[in-house]
Amino acid sequence: MRRALTTLVPLLAAVTLVACGTGAPSGPATGASSLAATPPDAQLNLDATVNVRLTLEPTSLNPFSTAGAALDQLLLTNVYQNLLTVDVNKQDAVVPQLASSYDESPDGLTYTFHLVPNAHFHDGKALTSADVKWSLDQQTAPGSLGIYAANFASINSVAAPDPRTVVISLKHRDTWLLWNLTQREGIIYEQGTNFASLDSKDNGSGPFTIGAWNRGSSITINRFAGYWGAQPKVASVIFHYISDSNTANNAQQTGQTDVEATADPTLLQPFTNSSSFTVLSGSTSDKFTLAFNDAVAPFTNPAVRHAIRQAINNADVIKAYGGGIAIGSDVPPQDPWYEDLTSIDKYNPANARKLLASAGFPNGLSLTLTVPNIYTTAITDVLTSELKQAGITLTVNRVEFQTWLSQVFTNHQFQLSLVDHAEARDIGNYANAKYYFGYDNAQVQNWFAQAGTAASDTDRNALLKQVGKQIATDAASDWLFLAKTFTVVRQGVYGVPSIETTERFDASNLAVAK
Amino acid sequence: MIRYLLRRTLLLVVSLFVASVLIFLLLRLLPGDVATTIGGLRATPAQLARIRANLGLDRPLIAQYGSWLGGVLHGDFGRSQLNGVSVSAELATKLQVTAPLVGGGIVVALLLAVPFGILAALRHRSSVGGGISAVAQLGIAVPTFWLGLVLALLFAVELRVLPAQGFPVSGWNSPGVALRSLILPWLALGLSEGAILLRFVRSSVLDVLSADYLRTARAKGRTRVGALLTHGLRNAALPVTSILGLQIAGLIVGAVVVEQVFALPGVGTMLLSDVGNRDLVKVQGEVLVISAAVLVISFAIDIAHRVIDPRLREAG
Repeated sequence: MRRALTTLVPLLAAVTLVACGTGAPSGPATGASSLAATPPDAQLNLDATVNVRLTLEPTSLNPFSTAGAALDQLLLTNVYQNLLTVDVNKQDAVVPQLASSYDESPDGLTYTFHLVPNAHFHDGKALTSADVKWSLDQQTAPGSLGIYAANFASINSVAAPDPRTVVISLKHRDTWLLWNLTQREGIIYEQGTNFASLDSKDNGSGPFTIGAWNRGSSITINRFAGYWGAQPKVASVIFHYISDSNTANNAQQTGQTDVEATADPTLLQPFTNSSSFTVLSGSTSDKFTLAFNDAVAPFTNPAVRHAIRQAINNADVIKAYGGGIAIGSDVPPQDPWYEDLTSIDKYNPANARKLLASAGFPNGLSLTLTVPNIYTTAITDVLTSELKQAGITLTVNRVEFQTWLSQVFTNHQFQLSLVDHAEARDIGNYANAKYYFGYDNAQVQNWFAQAGTAASDTDRNALLKQVGKQIATDAASDWLFLAKTFTVVRQGVYGVPSIETTERFDASNLAVAK
Repeated sequence: MIRYLLRRTLLLVVSLFVASVLIFLLLRLLPGDVATTIGGLRATPAQLARIRANLGLDRPLIAQYGSWLGGVLHGDFGRSQLNGVSVSAELATKLQVTAPLVGGGIVVALLLAVPFGILAALRHRSSVGGGISAVAQLGIAVPTFWLGLVLALLFAVELRVLPAQGFPVSGWNSPGVALRSLILPWLALGLSEGAILLRFVRSSVLDVLSADYLRTARAKGRTRVGALLTHGLRNAALPVTSILGLQIAGLIVGAVVVEQVFALPGVGTMLLSDVGNRDLVKVQGEVLVISAAVLVISFAIDIAHRVIDPRLREAG
């Protein structure tokens, strides 16, 4: 009895802390940047199944006409492939996938892609340039239901002069084209695909096929024997969708999962300093953005925006979240137009008070923050506390995500909003005066438009760097931090991705020791 | 009895019709729609309009209701607007988890509540009765979420005797694994619900113990426990079955907390996700089926009352 009590009492105390969320870490979490190298095949179990915990389940398996990061995370690279892809280990460099190489004409109006040999769809048919042409035509067709079809508005025509060559002709230069070809809109489908049928049966060209979708629980992908590239070193991967962080930790500790992706950085204690697990830390494009409604008072006054930025200590917010870095603008370090802008509006609560007084609020002001209830209250608690010190009384209105979409995103009925802008390379939102930020700067819009048709990537990057600096100087928003992602890996599992895994979880290098 | 059954059946049909109208209209009051889930943040207004037109969301509400009700009358509760899955099929799958979860939870609750509730009533002036009541009060105060975490940490993480979460992909085709995965959820649900039920059992038995007919039975020579078992429990069961009926009905959806803690793919989790995605055709079908289940359970409880209590049968 005494023994049982000695086990139970500390356990109850620990669980109380966990359940109440009071187990705040002493500082942001840290982790390794990579795993040990994968051993030779002879030492691997090539028939293994790897169990991976993910958080957000896809709503559909039709990548053509359904949005959602959860689809990208599961399907891109693993099941469906593009002409080009993104190498997250090389600062998001655009690299070949189904196209082994490509040529750009000197005027930048024609791109010629050379397809890899032996690529096949999962139904066994060979992938040819006719499939590429058909796929891109579905995006550019008038009234297309393709998600992000608008990103190919610059395409004039697509030709397939021979089975392994594709020629894309543009109406004007488009410095975004190659990037967009790596994204959802650039997926290559088999000619004649009925997109509605993809929910029940996939037909991609990637190294895995969809095995089973146990809705509300898990999705299994199986190795595709006819894959044109290197065969995956595991037979199957089961993605378990576990939303609760404590439950996910339990599953990882007890061996129900081999990999815990997007682990809660404040709950890593069971895995750190453990010989049974490795905690990987990776970068993301998740920008936790405190948006001001720039189009309405008091945010039409730049002094108020600067005051709020200077009243918040980003380091405190990062500590509350558990892991991340300050960025100072809407540009993460992996973007080629990144510049360290954290010196703009540095933490200075005394000056924040002065700025508010100069803006006509010597006695402070009251503001309402609308935030989706999926984010931890630890962040909003810090904001409330620090803004209070600057004389701003913050009312936090936690709403369900769809309500946020309706109130804030669509109808612009808000003062302050906090949301994770997870999309990569989304700085164009600040060049759109109709976007919910309400930021309207003709110079920024002009630079962004020029960047899209610039003569070279270097020119584009220079223009976008100016955009990044200008929006920071104008305090268009407050970019609280760029989140880090943490992945817990069981010993004996190799090839686990750790960078930008919420955008695509590349399972093709997974391996398990015998 | 037959007239009563007919009257109650008619009431059931009218209630279901009213429920269908209320469900349909109340869901339309929610902000947002499924088009934004499908189109995402980068969809243009024109794209969203096309999605709405494709799904028939631009039709008048009365037409949308009519189509749905017509389908329901033919046994078709609709399909997901996100992935085309049939509501009936999806519910049937999820009930394979939720029905045993709720059923087992209620069994645990009864095993806890009935004997300890009776004991607490019989010994209500002693430390035993006081102790049971205090533990029950604690059980009511402890959040199910927390209890689930403690159970998982103790039996799964520390002792490694039961799985921490999940339900087998193969479902009930692996009965042993499925049963093992439900033991901790049963305990979490049963202990919480049992604590509530125990209070009702205790209170109900206490009322019966002071009733005249029990005193008469004891005057005729029966022991206190004997008189209670023979004459009292039937009367004490009436309010308890009412509460039990409400608990079962509530748990079909209310088990969502346990489903979340143990990552079980049940009805509650599905509804939460579908409402979040504004997959309203699916939600309204699911809620209607659940409402029907609640009404049928309530109907069954009424019948049970009549079987238990002859006075109600005589009242007609």
